[in-house]
Amino acid sequence: MSTESDDNGLLRSVLPPERVDQLFDLCGAHGWKLILASAVVGALPPLFGLREGYMMTVISEMFLFAILALSWDIVGGQTGYPSFGNMAFFGIGAYTGAILLKDFAVSFPLAVVSAGVFATVFAAIIGLIVLRLRGHYFAIATLGVLLAAQQISRNLEITGGASGKILFDVPPGVVFYYFFLGVLVAEIIVVYYLSSTRFGFILNAIRDDEGKATAMGFNTTYYKTAAWMLAALFTGLAGGAYGLFNTFIDPQTAYNGAWNVELIAMALMGGTGTVAGPVIGAFGLHTVIEYVETAFVGWQLVMLGLAVIVTVIGFPKGVVGTLREYANEMDYYERGGMAATDAAADGSGGSDVAASTTDAADSDADTEVTRDE
Amino acid sequence: MAIAQFVVNGLLVGALFAAVAVGFALIWGVVDIINLAHGEMVMLGGYTAYWLLSIATGTAEGSVLLFLATLPVVVVVLFVVGYALQRALVSRVIGTDIFLTLLVTFGISIAIQQLAIQAWTANPRSIQVAFADPSLIVAGLVVPKMKLVAFFGAIILTAILYLFLQRTRTGRAIRAVSQNPEAAALVGIDVEHTRAVTFGISSAVAGGAGAFIATILNIEPQMGLIYTLKSFVIVVFGGVGSIPGALTGGLLLGTVEELTAGLVSSRWTLAVSFTLLIVLLVVKPQGLFGTEAEE
Repeated sequence: MSTESDDNGLLRSVLPPERVDQLFDLCGAHGWKLILASAVVGALPPLFGLREGYMMTVISEMFLFAILALSWDIVGGQTGYPSFGNMAFFGIGAYTGAILLKDFAVSFPLAVVSAGVFATVFAAIIGLIVLRLRGHYFAIATLGVLLAAQQISRNLEITGGASGKILFDVPPGVVFYYFFLGVLVAEIIVVYYLSSTRFGFILNAIRDDEGKATAMGFNTTYYKTAAWMLAALFTGLAGGAYGLFNTFIDPQTAYNGAWNVELIAMALMGGTGTVAGPVIGAFGLHTVIEYVETAFVGWQLVMLGLAVIVTVIGFPKGVVGTLREYANEMDYYERGGMAATDAAADGSGGSDVAASTTDAADSDADTEVTRDE
Repeated sequence: MAIAQFVVNGLLVGALFAAVAVGFALIWGVVDIINLAHGEMVMLGGYTAYWLLSIATGTAEGSVLLFLATLPVVVVVLFVVGYALQRALVSRVIGTDIFLTLLVTFGISIAIQQLAIQAWTANPRSIQVAFADPSLIVAGLVVPKMKLVAFFGAIILTAILYLFLQRTRTGRAIRAVSQNPEAAALVGIDVEHTRAVTFGISSAVAGGAGAFIATILNIEPQMGLIYTLKSFVIVVFGGVGSIPGALTGGLLLGTVEELTAGLVSSRWTLAVSFTLLIVLLVVKPQGLFGTEAEE
């Protein structure tokens, strides 16, 4: 399954697998420091004069997409329920924020918080319905939720119908920069923390084999719905601020179908089921899309479609997953076949952090790769 | 009386939905893939017919016979497109995670749709088929002639597909692969080829339906996803792998949409369709005619 060719001598001499493995261990050991350092670096640019303009918007959007991709991954990557309708939460958040700001003259912070709460409540209700489905049925049902929400927003009075809502009194760009950064850091902290808790392990267990997870006595519906609501909370918060950030929302932008694919592609390219993957994927893919958008106007979605196809066929494990596989490739010889299978399973789905492969090899945890069922 | 008229309109359009859905169900049943690019085959079929007529007559107008003459070309072109897509791209993800198969067809869908926008602009188009005299009036109900032609066209496409699967050697191979790919391979069926043929046939039928859709409704590059989801509604309703079920589902969905448009407002038709999708999935995921759901 390795996508790296085996006679890749140059790569091997520059970056041997052991070194990558050490790097993973290092990141695992110092995860909190790494997050703190990244947050500080992210907070720096405005302090050094970057306060407005194109770059400011682009970086803010990167944070925004990282939030969306990481939220998708909580349910899609960690829990194994790939949703095709996450933008529904975003749209609900965006409309809640816009309506409160414009029609009820609520303050910005309160509007954003309400947007998050609304999206979470919406997720709870919808989750109870669609999370009962699996596989194809779940994916299509979530897509149906997104499109139904879009159509309903288009037809209601309160949402401004097809023409949408224009928002005034927009705060300076720095506010959004720090808002999106703040939400992103908060989300990374939450996801990273959960990945080493019982809650996170149960989510992964549901992904690997929901039947077994149920048999072990876990109320999987409870955990799935909780993860789903958590994803909706962060997506809704981002959506709540987006209306004002964009100064305008309509059904097409609030429930943006292209974004829906974009955020899935980001999580996939970075590596699903990891903390760093979706964030890396969001930064990388958004940079590329932004470039294509300016250099070849109108072709960015063609590029997105092709990028999705190439990623799925070429390296479905994403950057982090592929690197982990590369780092663990000697496991087969050092620890025997089962350990290698285990490590590969870990790489494709396991948590990016702290999930040391030695533990997995030593313990007699179930070694079946059940994700492909 | 108005309601009877809405029902007639619904049945006429519903046959086209059914023809689209039958191909969707075929891929789902045989290749075990939800083809999210299925709607794009409808779109491409519509555009192929549109451009063929434009080349032949200079405008996208023509007599019924001229339009019907484009159909074989549309079917062949779309068969090739479907076959190539399966061989080149989709076959690479068969047997992997369901999520990846969905995503690869989603990627194909976006790429085709956006390329179509680049090539033909996002403006809606339609084929004008000229008739000498106005609509038929049967028992006080208005039946536009082209809708009637499209209705029978869709039924014939579906019937041909059904007979093909039941009667021909290739059809039997397709059904064998659908039941058990390993056993099919053991008795000498080229599974990869059969799957690609399935994809091709399904796309061809969708394309043929798309050509008819271009004559009675609009075609535009972004129409695909809606037809994919309608197909899903119909297949879920009728049950995977049941052609009579898909036909019933299609006629019913068309009727529901036309009733919504007539009694409430045409703005609500899509909202109702998609809500119906979610309700159906939750209440009866195994379909009314199907045997059982896989998961």
